[in-house]
Amino acid sequence: MVKLSYTTIDFKPRGFYILNAILVALTVAGFICFVISYMEGHRVFGISNAVPWGMAIIITVYLIGLSAGSLMLSSLTYVFGREEYRLISRIAVFLAVVLIFGAMVGISLDLGRPEKMWRLFMFFVANNMRSMFAVNGILYGGYFAISFVYLGLIFAEKMKFIKKMGILAMVWAAMVHMGTGAIFGFVAARPIFYSPLKPFEFLAAAMASGLALLIIVVIFAFKLSKRDFKKEPFFSLGKLLLGLIIALAVLVLIDKLTHLYSPHREPTLWLLTGPFAWLFWIFQVGCAYIFPILLLIHPRVKKTVGGLLVASFLVVTGIFFERFLVVIPGTAHPMPFYPGQIEGIWGEAGSFPITLIELLMCLGIFSLMGLFFIHGCRNLELLPIIERRETPPPPETVS
Amino acid sequence: MVIDLDKCTGCQACTIACKVENNVPHGSPEEQRGRREIYWNKVIAVTNGKYPHVQTMLIPMPCMHCEQAPCVTVCPAKATYRREDGIVMQDFRKCIGCKYCMVACPYGARSFNNKEQDEKEYHRQDLPPDRKSWGQWPFPTRTHGVVEKCTFCFHRIDRGIKEGKKIGKEVVPACVEECPSNARTFGDLDDPQGEVSRLLSSRGWTRLREELDTKCKVYYLFK
Repeated sequence: MVKLSYTTIDFKPRGFYILNAILVALTVAGFICFVISYMEGHRVFGISNAVPWGMAIIITVYLIGLSAGSLMLSSLTYVFGREEYRLISRIAVFLAVVLIFGAMVGISLDLGRPEKMWRLFMFFVANNMRSMFAVNGILYGGYFAISFVYLGLIFAEKMKFIKKMGILAMVWAAMVHMGTGAIFGFVAARPIFYSPLKPFEFLAAAMASGLALLIIVVIFAFKLSKRDFKKEPFFSLGKLLLGLIIALAVLVLIDKLTHLYSPHREPTLWLLTGPFAWLFWIFQVGCAYIFPILLLIHPRVKKTVGGLLVASFLVVTGIFFERFLVVIPGTAHPMPFYPGQIEGIWGEAGSFPITLIELLMCLGIFSLMGLFFIHGCRNLELLPIIERRETPPPPETVS
Repeated sequence: MVIDLDKCTGCQACTIACKVENNVPHGSPEEQRGRREIYWNKVIAVTNGKYPHVQTMLIPMPCMHCEQAPCVTVCPAKATYRREDGIVMQDFRKCIGCKYCMVACPYGARSFNNKEQDEKEYHRQDLPPDRKSWGQWPFPTRTHGVVEKCTFCFHRIDRGIKEGKKIGKEVVPACVEECPSNARTFGDLDDPQGEVSRLLSSRGWTRLREELDTKCKVYYLFK
């Protein structure tokens, strides 16, 4: 077994300060945009009464997925004992904490009255527990606490508790993203949302995107810090990614197929052939499913780090658009209040113009997470160094 | 509430009456086109057939005050609730502005207040300025960042009950009062002697989006 010892990443001071300054500037810009939206009202965003949920909700759902996926993958080592993945496990938990923080920021910025967010967390007291949103309040709150404790235990290397905590974290993370899927899947009024498959679809998307992001982040972290790393674990992670994408693609296919039957036929056809069709076919189907699958089954490309990186990048991008294509067209499709052609604005599909303020605000959330991440990398012992005592690599222990 | 589609002329008097009564702000033409204006009541036109055999239905749509209201189910903060008399209310103090109710409402009855409005107070000409006479107001101040909707003019109903007036005859919501062709009738659906029950037994009626089983309380009489 390769002995791993974790160290902090040493940045070049100058590069670090420049990066730091850029991220701080973007975060501040995002915060200013949030203040503007709070003072002026949400008219500065692209949302309307036809499309009530905008960019902040999209990235919140996306980030929760990335976080849950990342946390679940850390269990490969800590629960299932796959030692070859140990090199990604610590950073996976840290990434999960950072991403869920970003998601919570995102959800609070989307609220019309963010100062009343505490009402979401008055479990059973001031909350309507029949609401999926309120149930998710419990899940998110618990997730935040669990992932923090989990990270603490990992840093303290309390092996006895890590496994138990890992099981809890894995199950909770799965529930968190299935719950997020249920927010959409249980809304009967919106045919594109309404599906019992949504929680499972979201779970598969979470694991695929979480894994892809993890591969990108870890490979870049290794390369930029000029550390040696074994490539084989990444290729086997690539196989896992392939499996997850195929599972996700099958779930989406079944979802769309069932929706192609009445009564959901018309909205689904609208999604597949209407104004959002190019996004759907190019970015969701192409970017998230077809191209990564092709790259990951190609006999030569799948054995290169570059191919793996490109596939992961495509998955991360594609799944962002998958979230976009759930949230925006799901609400934009006009509702059939009465059989026939509804005239005027009430029968038109809602539009979602992307505004600068909304974009900058979302960029601010990403920058804030980036700040946490680079400071974490600098101050916490996240990445391993493979000690070069044992060369060539020993036979892998298969458990 | 019963709406007679045969009598409705699509004059939008109900929409205007609602805006005046509840101090719902007007929007600019851009806001209207972009679906950003607040409507508590709207009138949609639905066309079926082709020229020369074409029929256009004019359908006024207030909040349907569903018995199984999807908005009440999804509201995480108990800001939307159903009163004992069946009116679905929106409490602006509790509303956190998550817009989940707007996503869940199958009738598009809800609007998000997305800017600071000029008129913050609800001005009600029919109410005395002294608040002691009509008790505590659940949302005295208009604020942006919350979801708004039709309340069946609950303030009129509550005051009418307090004064011992007959609901549905002497006291009706503003849209019912202003309708020039008397297309709307308001009353207690549980009262077998009431005008509403009489109308529903006299003609064929429908409710919108029955397939969702919301059991809504706005009935439409056919042409």
